Amino acid sequence: MSSEFKILETDSDGEGRACQLSRRRFLQAAGVGGATLAMLTVPGCGTLMARTARLPSKRLASLADLEVDKPVTVMYPDPKSMCMLVKLGVPAGGGVGPDGDVVAFSMSCPHMGMTMIGAYNAKHKGMGPCPSHLSRFDLTRYGIVVSGHATQSLPQVLLEVKEGEIYATGLRGLLYGRNGNLG
Amino acid sequence: MANEPYFTPDSDVPLPPPDADQFTTCCDYCVVACGYKVYRWPVGSKNGGPQAAENALGVDFPRGPLKGGFISPNMHNIVTADGKKQHVIVVPDKDSKVVNRGGDHSIRGGCIAQKCYNPDTPTRDRLQYPMMRINGKLERISWDDATDIFAEMANYVIEKYSESAYAQKQYSYQYFENNYALTKLAWRHIHTPAHAFHDNPGHAPDTPGFRDAGIDNFSASYDDWYEADVVFLSGTDPFETKTIIWNEYMMRGTMEHGQKQIFVNPRRTSGADYAVKNGGLHLQLIPGTDTVLHMALARVILENGWEDKKWLAKFPPANKWESDSGFGRGIRDTPWQWRTTWGKVQTKGFEDYKAWILSQKESELDFAAELCGLPKEQIVKAAELMAKPRPDGTRPKLSVGIEKGNYWTNNYSNTASIASLGLICGAGNRPGQMISRLGGHQRGGNSGGSYPRSKGPEKFFGRRRMTLNLDKWLENGHVRMAYVVGTTWVGSMSASQSLQESMTKLTRGNPAQISKNDKAHALEVMKERVDSGGTMMVVQDIYLREPIGSELADFVFPAATWGEEAFVRSNGERRMRIYDKFYDAPGEAKPDWWIVGQIGQKMGFPGFDWKTSNDVYEESMRGNRRGRRDYAVFLKYAKKAGKSGHDFLRELGTQGIQTPVREEDGKILGTKRFHDSTLELPHTGPEKLTWMHKIFKSFKTQTGRPHLLKSPWFIFADFFDAIKPKGEELWVSSGRINEVWQSGFDDVQRRSYITQRWPENILEIHPEDAKARGIESGDMVEAYSDRVAVQTGGFIHRTLEDAMYTGLLKNGHIEFKSASVELVAMVTDSVRKGTTFSICLMNPKRAVNALSPSVTDPMSGNYRFKLGVGKVRKIGESPYKKDLAQMTFVDRTFS
Repeated sequence: MSSEFKILETDSDGEGRACQLSRRRFLQAAGVGGATLAMLTVPGCGTLMARTARLPSKRLASLADLEVDKPVTVMYPDPKSMCMLVKLGVPAGGGVGPDGDVVAFSMSCPHMGMTMIGAYNAKHKGMGPCPSHLSRFDLTRYGIVVSGHATQSLPQVLLEVKEGEIYATGLRGLLYGRNGNLG
Repeated sequence: MANEPYFTPDSDVPLPPPDADQFTTCCDYCVVACGYKVYRWPVGSKNGGPQAAENALGVDFPRGPLKGGFISPNMHNIVTADGKKQHVIVVPDKDSKVVNRGGDHSIRGGCIAQKCYNPDTPTRDRLQYPMMRINGKLERISWDDATDIFAEMANYVIEKYSESAYAQKQYSYQYFENNYALTKLAWRHIHTPAHAFHDNPGHAPDTPGFRDAGIDNFSASYDDWYEADVVFLSGTDPFETKTIIWNEYMMRGTMEHGQKQIFVNPRRTSGADYAVKNGGLHLQLIPGTDTVLHMALARVILENGWEDKKWLAKFPPANKWESDSGFGRGIRDTPWQWRTTWGKVQTKGFEDYKAWILSQKESELDFAAELCGLPKEQIVKAAELMAKPRPDGTRPKLSVGIEKGNYWTNNYSNTASIASLGLICGAGNRPGQMISRLGGHQRGGNSGGSYPRSKGPEKFFGRRRMTLNLDKWLENGHVRMAYVVGTTWVGSMSASQSLQESMTKLTRGNPAQISKNDKAHALEVMKERVDSGGTMMVVQDIYLREPIGSELADFVFPAATWGEEAFVRSNGERRMRIYDKFYDAPGEAKPDWWIVGQIGQKMGFPGFDWKTSNDVYEESMRGNRRGRRDYAVFLKYAKKAGKSGHDFLRELGTQGIQTPVREEDGKILGTKRFHDSTLELPHTGPEKLTWMHKIFKSFKTQTGRPHLLKSPWFIFADFFDAIKPKGEELWVSSGRINEVWQSGFDDVQRRSYITQRWPENILEIHPEDAKARGIESGDMVEAYSDRVAVQTGGFIHRTLEDAMYTGLLKNGHIEFKSASVELVAMVTDSVRKGTTFSICLMNPKRAVNALSPSVTDPMSGNYRFKLGVGKVRKIGESPYKKDLAQMTFVDRTFS
């Protein structure tokens, strides 16, 4: 288990949303996996723990290089995983930069793994339809399935900005085809 | 702004070790029933590795695109099996050669592992113990007391008030074993007419026009949806609701041989969008106008001489004498409306049908275009695609697929007119040229007896009885005891808020309420309840559903379900497969057949002492001889091999076998399609146990010929004119959505990713309608009406005219009630102006059926669920408008 592991305690208001992972299941899961773990707190859920993997940090681009709706292809966390970095022009979940609108996502459809090349939709800030089976994703809302068949959101690259440089620091979700994101 | 989504999936999954236990199952949800494999191994033991030799799937990780075998985080869960915590992986079968070939899957099936009971997930509220409402609160009691009270009360009610006072409202699909047991109790032994399935107020046929035309609802095989050159899809989008039929059959048909689809739907869906981009059409008609569209299409085809003349000569539709003999069922078994509508729908054959179509003003292009709200050119173009012969004289292979949008708006006429339309194009009995339902739930409706139709209280001239409408029967105070199994009843019926009022009055509103945890006291109070005109309500389910379980039930029985018991079921191409048990049901939850077994024995009926699920499976074969699910031959071969029926089916894995099962040359055979004119049968006749069904090769009529039916608009027109939006009103129609489809009972509250996507029900509204009301995406809106037409009274002799809307109104059988539903607005031009769309039954508190009229089709007795109407106003903002953690308002069809 990683030394970065820590638990944040918050009070539950007792009437919140159903939490997707309890501490018990989390600990169960933590016992069998080797991933680094991030703790989350969500209002109404008390302590919520999810296995968002922190991965080796990698510089992707400079903020100054990005133009709205002009996606850039980047490889993360390794050269076999094609991702798309884009400035959406509207605030987005997990967005970084001064406008909170810079996001990056895997380009492999989490349904059956087809690479969604050229599938960024500027009008709707979406990805898709996937050419294989037409799944669509909302990039302003953590890559959630808009319609289609994927069983998770489009895996999102966790970003940080340091002195105008955009770094990838991890992934939310599991890349298609793998049993671990570094697989 | 939130900085995390509602649900974060794990970013790795444990792989099953090579020695993991393996099971076969299918998805529990939609009718397609994709094949799945389950891998199970104890928590704490060694996981598998990424090399093929190191894991139970026998494949290398990572997996390449479209290869199958990828295990997404939502395919993993931890369950209790054999008393210990175990990992389970539920993954689409990558080796499947049928249905979901190569491991394709939907979001619903792909997340099905999250359905398994795990106290560390939102499934923790599974019902685990029998409960009795004491002083308003549900408290645990023993199975013994629960079934004692049920049996004594059922016998009391039957003896004192007759079997018609005992009502059973149940699912029609939840496995052969359970359906058989439940219907054996209600039909064969109690013999009550007060019975209805989950989606129907009584025993009205789903598709009466198909029935009268001689078409079996599930005649097609999935390969037919691939082979067709053109598919006419009415009131459904398989992208949304039959994922794998779309992905693996229709979309593949487009990619590999240029198949075109014609979508008929008031709403633009992903499938419709794809069809239009690939040479097909989307006819975005006004709700409820399908019959007129079908008639206009038929007229264009007939006027141009595009009908399939060769086929019509080879398979001539039935003539007058054949029609008059009762649509192929003989006089005794003809449906009740046959006598009351003499000559109104029957034809004397093709020429008579043609003359009728050409004589109707509704079939005229101008009239139809105006009424349906469609451009004339589009109707002509659709007719061309469907039927115009190519320059070389060959014809496009047309198949017709329908679902609820078709038959839940104008039940009889839509199904009759579309059957005729398909038949004149030569569809119905050949590969790639079929007419069929695509299906909703899976097919598990094995009968344990015959429904006593003749006890229905509504009678027409002659000896024809209409089946009882259970909602009306209850609202009129005739139900003293109700056994509700696996359905919400209230929200799933029309004018649902009005129905709920009646139920509340009969249960919670009655002074007789149990106040002590004591069997004798409970019996005394329940007898007082029923003797004072109230209703005792018993609800059996896996969760406490609102309001039927949480508010109305006096007793709640916990059921075991998918994965917790071995069951058998068929899909939409009659493919029968095993759904194996791979983990322990929570607490004292029991499979429905076991609970019914206890009740049946205690009520004093023979034949309810089953020991295993397989006992029920084998017995239920007897009730299904000659039917769509005939598997007598299958059991014979199981016996010959010295195996139980379940074990023999296990050996067939996700392949299963298509029923009816036949034998030829000492081999067991499935049946690919019905009415199959290309099928070769042995000239020597059927072998041994094989029942040679007429429908193997012919239509389901007395003569085996198809019936062409008329669909006179007047039968529906008075209702349509009265109900359609007036002034500020909009259509408030409903339908299904990919992410929550036949899975709502698990999804909305209990599968976290789906909860993220759909925390609330929506109202899709056209930008112009939204603007006029100051509505933006994410606003909370109220859809409301003070003129929801509710049919009351009845149970008298009637003519067709009496049963039509005008007659009902004149005779005081229509009341107008108020109803209101709060929804989250989604502004999109996917819906027609003047039409809104909401998800059918996604959230019991947001059931838009509250706004649909409970006036039944005079021809069939079925509701028109889709034809809700109401005004819409903004009442505030939902949290989802600005919070990015849940939901999305992006157009579902963007491209």
